[in-house]
Amino acid sequence: MTIGTTKGGSRTGTGRPRRGTGANAGRPHAALALPGVLFFLFFAAVPMVLAFCLSFTEWNGLGNPRPAGLANWRKLFDDDRLTQSLTVTVLLTVVSWAFQTVVSMLLGVWAAGRQRNRAILSAIFFVPFLLSSTAISLLFYALLDPNFGIIHGDTLGSTNGAFLAIVFVGGWQFIPFHTLIYQGGARQIPEVLYQAAAIDGAGRYRRFFSITLPQLRNTATTSGVLMVVGSLTYFETVLILTQGGPGTDTAILPYLMYEAGFKSYDFGYASAIASFLVVAATALSLLLVRLSGFGTMRSTREGM
Amino acid sequence: MSHDTLPHPVKTGAAPAARQDGRRRRHWTRRPDPLAGLGSVVWLVVVIVPVYAMITASLTPRDEALGNNALKPPAHPTLANYSTVLHSGFFHYLWNTVLAAVAVVAIVLVLCVPLAYVAVRTRGFWSGAAFRLFLLGVAIPAQAVVVPLYLMIAKLNLYDSLLAIILPTAAFAMPVAILVLTGSLRDISEEVYEAMALDGASPLRMLFQLVIPMSKGGISTVGIYSALQAWNGFLFPLIFTQSEGPRVLTLGLFNYVSQFGVDIPALLASVVLSGIPIFAVYLVARRALVGGLMGVGGK
Amino acid sequence: MESTTSNGGRAFSRRWVLGAGATTLVAAGTAGLTACGSSGGSGGGGALTAFVYGDDAAKIQVAAIDRFNSSAAAKKAKGKIKLEKVPGSEYPAKLRTAMGSPNAPDIFFNWGGGSIKAYRDAKQLVDLTDTITSDPVLKSGFLPSVITAGGIGGHNYGIPMRGMQPVILFYNKSLFAERKLQPPTTWDQLLDINTKLKKAGITPFALGGSDIWPELMWLEYLVDRIGGPQVFDRIKNGDASGWGDPAVLKAAQTVKQLIDDGAFGKGFNSVAYTNGGAPAVFAKGKAAMHLMGSWEYSTQLGKFPDFARKSLGWTAFPTIEGGAGDIRNVVGNPTNYWSINARTSNKDAALAFLRDCASETYAKALIANGDIPTTTNAESLLDASPNPEFAKFQYKMVQNAPAFTLSWDQAVDPNVSTPMLTEVNKLFVGKSTPSQFVSALQGLK
Repeated sequence: MTIGTTKGGSRTGTGRPRRGTGANAGRPHAALALPGVLFFLFFAAVPMVLAFCLSFTEWNGLGNPRPAGLANWRKLFDDDRLTQSLTVTVLLTVVSWAFQTVVSMLLGVWAAGRQRNRAILSAIFFVPFLLSSTAISLLFYALLDPNFGIIHGDTLGSTNGAFLAIVFVGGWQFIPFHTLIYQGGARQIPEVLYQAAAIDGAGRYRRFFSITLPQLRNTATTSGVLMVVGSLTYFETVLILTQGGPGTDTAILPYLMYEAGFKSYDFGYASAIASFLVVAATALSLLLVRLSGFGTMRSTREGM
Repeated sequence: MSHDTLPHPVKTGAAPAARQDGRRRRHWTRRPDPLAGLGSVVWLVVVIVPVYAMITASLTPRDEALGNNALKPPAHPTLANYSTVLHSGFFHYLWNTVLAAVAVVAIVLVLCVPLAYVAVRTRGFWSGAAFRLFLLGVAIPAQAVVVPLYLMIAKLNLYDSLLAIILPTAAFAMPVAILVLTGSLRDISEEVYEAMALDGASPLRMLFQLVIPMSKGGISTVGIYSALQAWNGFLFPLIFTQSEGPRVLTLGLFNYVSQFGVDIPALLASVVLSGIPIFAVYLVARRALVGGLMGVGGK
Repeated sequence: MESTTSNGGRAFSRRWVLGAGATTLVAAGTAGLTACGSSGGSGGGGALTAFVYGDDAAKIQVAAIDRFNSSAAAKKAKGKIKLEKVPGSEYPAKLRTAMGSPNAPDIFFNWGGGSIKAYRDAKQLVDLTDTITSDPVLKSGFLPSVITAGGIGGHNYGIPMRGMQPVILFYNKSLFAERKLQPPTTWDQLLDINTKLKKAGITPFALGGSDIWPELMWLEYLVDRIGGPQVFDRIKNGDASGWGDPAVLKAAQTVKQLIDDGAFGKGFNSVAYTNGGAPAVFAKGKAAMHLMGSWEYSTQLGKFPDFARKSLGWTAFPTIEGGAGDIRNVVGNPTNYWSINARTSNKDAALAFLRDCASETYAKALIANGDIPTTTNAESLLDASPNPEFAKFQYKMVQNAPAFTLSWDQAVDPNVSTPMLTEVNKLFVGKSTPSQFVSALQGLK
């Protein structure tokens, strides 16, 4: 690809196809992108704006929303449950990330080996990922039942038990996926590095820490971003396993919003929580984009 | 899968190459590693035990189940629980899920392939802005907009229809789809475009004869990803549908909880059944599925 | 929506497809946006829609609707009804979202009181007060206390359509006989029984704590027995300071004491009623008593028939020394009601259908299912019940009750009941003390 070509004249022709006229040919018309952009704006961006508008109203789902000024926002920042919910959300994200990263990195590196038994076991390890989150949550709901399940304790009735159950269930479902990512990453580590280390007499664990681990840095970033973003969506697990309980101890932000909206029918307040969630998630994604360098992907290629 | 993702572009063909290399060079890793072996066995137990308990429990007669340990094989195994589930609308829910998944994949591909094509092939303020819009969309959880979406769906007269699930699900699958597709489109070199342009190809012809064939890897990744979004989707069906007509599998499963209430074996039978279709896909097309998912993860 | 286009073909047709797709999209959007101006009413012209809570008992409503659709009354009113069974756990949320959409039901199941207040306020309910007074069938057909309990502020919006559901103290007769125990009538007796049972290694009470509402039943009865029915009446009528009544604090302290004494065992927070956990603990003799709605009988009959027939005993909730509440006072759900959406396209047909609930055929169907209808003619029909003894006990209990307190979570508006249930749960799991519990409830608007 030649940067020169793109600079040489297509500035003026941006977005205009000029058939068969040399260097700036074959640029598609921007109108091609329009349906997609409109669709996304209508079903994803407009609702976000609408959520923000609704947060200044009072609406119980019937009739039309009535303006309520800052009442919902005042309530939100006075609400002890917001602080608790935010703490639980962050804690859940961090603990899930740690748990899933450690396990899937080890499994992924292990599965990168070409042995036949590893291939077979990897195929089995993938099975949990085939079930939907709803199905998995229901499964563990049954298995954790003190009268029926495997563990005859008060798991979901205690704060730590319920928290760890959510972490475990999330891990059980998504570790297969992240293992796959690490497996792919580990297979791309140049073999020369290991050969050199072997000549230097480095042992198996030494090789893991001084070669594999540093070489998986990019993989870890990708997979970590996916985990962090993904843990915002543990909603089903919470809804089915704990309903935010015991008390309010596992009510993560999305659940708090669901409860305000679809249990108390306080849609204005639910929208305030939702707007807060959007702001937090946007901040998080900007941070992740910066940290991981996804945003620069485009400029390296197209010279913007 | 309900992960929203930030992928790196995939290079198709990288895997087979690595495979050949591995055969040749990895001889020393073949020595058994006791710690790794132990670890993998531990994880095997973690994976197998719940699956095993699920299957045995689903074969246990109702009256035997309560108060029993789920690990104990049933004294009188039965398929009755499965027939209960199959007679409770299971196929109808499955059909709805399949319809929704197909429609979501179709919408996402039809909208995102041209969009990614424009984003990669033109530069300028608007295409940059559009790209950034989708980039930011990646981390926005769908739950955050469910209240206003409900309002819109109700006003659009779509409440309680399959479209109410399909349209927002497709919209929220788009950011990742765009990222994956732009990634794989960038791997097509400028010269190929130029060569086609010299032949007098229009941008649209390039889309169909160059872009689509060359980014098959990315397209299949996006297809699998969006299908999984529809397959796994729970919140949209929960809020936007109500009646039996448009009920999808995840919601059907959730409703079995109140319907079967005291009947855990039937509930677990429904969980097993819900996994069977995708398990069948996995058996038939394991390599494509796994490869596609690796594509979501990147390289 | 649009179909995928695979590969090959001429660019012209592709462009056409894309263009058509975009046009469709925009057209759909515009059409939808225009539609939002006009208000909904009931869906398609033909049949009326009725929402019912989709549990086992819905089969009675299914039969009633079949009967109605082929009846002369339906022909006269030119309307048929289509029943929509809404799965139980999410019923209130589903009803709310549907009522806010153009696909609202014409007739819907509810619990009366707080469960319909928002719909009344939004003018979405047909006021049935005059209809009931002017219609002899409806007026004399139901127990007056039950009709009243479902109303708001002296107006009636619902017709009773299911059995009565008082909360009853169930006990294991065989186990009590073995240990030479009598069911308690006073709180001291209850505590004494608890001590004896615990010594024998038996949990006194089964409790499905993960559902929360079984926990609420304890507070409902304790507040009634300690402070009398007027305590909650005040709260129900919107006076949040009513939570500050000493009876509420005392009730919460009593609960705490029971928990600390191990009256509910250890793992009750993980046990659910809805998945059969608590009934199993009770039926298998691991727990000796169970405070539960009258439906416990049919649950046990379905799940552990032997236990239900031989060992299941029932009694009223005991009195508390020095308390203001009568032992005859009852808490629970008087029954469920049908209400009519004010925007229905055929009010006459809806009313004609509701009238059927007072019929003997309908009452008999309820009785055959083990339910006790709230109709005035029910008493004479009770012998046909699967368990006449239990049926008569229940009927008398409700008939003689000086006060019938509606379950708290149904009596107040959902935006109070949801945080209230959360606070109840926090009290039971030990996340808040009785006094924290009271002050949290006082904070609910």
